[in-house]
Amino acid sequence: MMRAQSGDGAAYHALLTEVAVRMRRLVRRRAPWLSAEDTEDLVQDILLSLHQARGTWDPARPFLPWMVAIARARLADNARRYARRAAIDLAAADLAETFFDGAANITEATVVNMMTVRKAMGDLTPAERQAVELLRLREMSLAEAAAVSGSTVAALKVAIHRAMRKMRGTLWKE
Amino acid sequence: MTDPMHTHRGTDALIARLSRQARPPRPLAHPVRRALGWAVIALGFAVAMVWAIGPRADLVERLGDARFLFEQGAALATGMAAAAAALALTIPGASPLWRLAPVVPGALWLGTLSLGCLRDWWAMGADGLRLTPDPACFFYIALIGSLPGLVLYLMLRRGVPLAPRLTLALAALAAAGLGNFGLRFFHAQDAALMVLVWQVGSVALIAALAGLAGRGLLRWSDPRPA
Repeated sequence: MMRAQSGDGAAYHALLTEVAVRMRRLVRRRAPWLSAEDTEDLVQDILLSLHQARGTWDPARPFLPWMVAIARARLADNARRYARRAAIDLAAADLAETFFDGAANITEATVVNMMTVRKAMGDLTPAERQAVELLRLREMSLAEAAAVSGSTVAALKVAIHRAMRKMRGTLWKE
Repeated sequence: MTDPMHTHRGTDALIARLSRQARPPRPLAHPVRRALGWAVIALGFAVAMVWAIGPRADLVERLGDARFLFEQGAALATGMAAAAAALALTIPGASPLWRLAPVVPGALWLGTLSLGCLRDWWAMGADGLRLTPDPACFFYIALIGSLPGLVLYLMLRRGVPLAPRLTLALAALAAAGLGNFGLRFFHAQDAALMVLVWQVGSVALIAALAGLAGRGLLRWSDPRPA
């Protein structure tokens, strides 16, 4: 790392390669729920974070604790984002319940319902899909959703109304 | 869809790109050194503010009072320790003991003021512990701490926000502590209970509020902006 800090590109390359191998192992151990692609994404995030933070490494101090501290922080970041995504998935399951009567405590039915809802969302226009995502899945208020999407409250009302009508049509037909 | 060879190739390409940018960054100095540098700026600003507002009439007398000097010394030490601790917390792998840096000077500060309360009560009875409103303290402490706070915030951004809430709370403690230090050179209020409640209280409140805003203000940017 010291050679890398003095501008030795080859040394830096070797270091990053070694770090990537270790990080892949660490991520697989700490976040086994991630797919191979997501794991690699996280490894790349950690490498980028190390690169961006390399000014904070003091050559007088050991390298490993520095590297591990950054990796742990990114892992925690990722876990928080994953939890948020899981919450959105849960909200999607709730959304499925609004279209299908009860019996959502049966897991298979819930999964099928969720997938059907997702498929029905594919028939929507981008504006309608965004309205569903912001207002129903992320449960934002009209004002918040308008701010986030750059649209207007009125446009969002129209979009969500059309989206719900289309989805009802698609889903209750089956 | 998930081709391991493909995804590893992405990482290899990234590593190749990063090693072409191995040009070394400007390394950060030791937190204590950075805190000292910050203190020079903070104290310079405090001196300017005291001069602009006008020093208290009995300043010379105060400077000969051991109790005043001790309280001010403890306030200054607490602020500087908090600044060093905040800066250290943005260094990955730094010792967690840094979090405790402001504890000893802070305890001295609170302790000396508490003793002062006892002494005031002993000397003047209930009168010595009279509490009257003095909300201007909050404003002045925030004012004198504003530039030091901003400078320290910018310094913190050069590190990594591993514990954003605690880091920002410590930074605010540092800035507000310096603010209080400056305040006592123009605000002629020495009753220990008043100082404890209105001045130290304001410092604590500012630190707490900053801690709450920590996650928002010291956000770790996405390494790969979409």
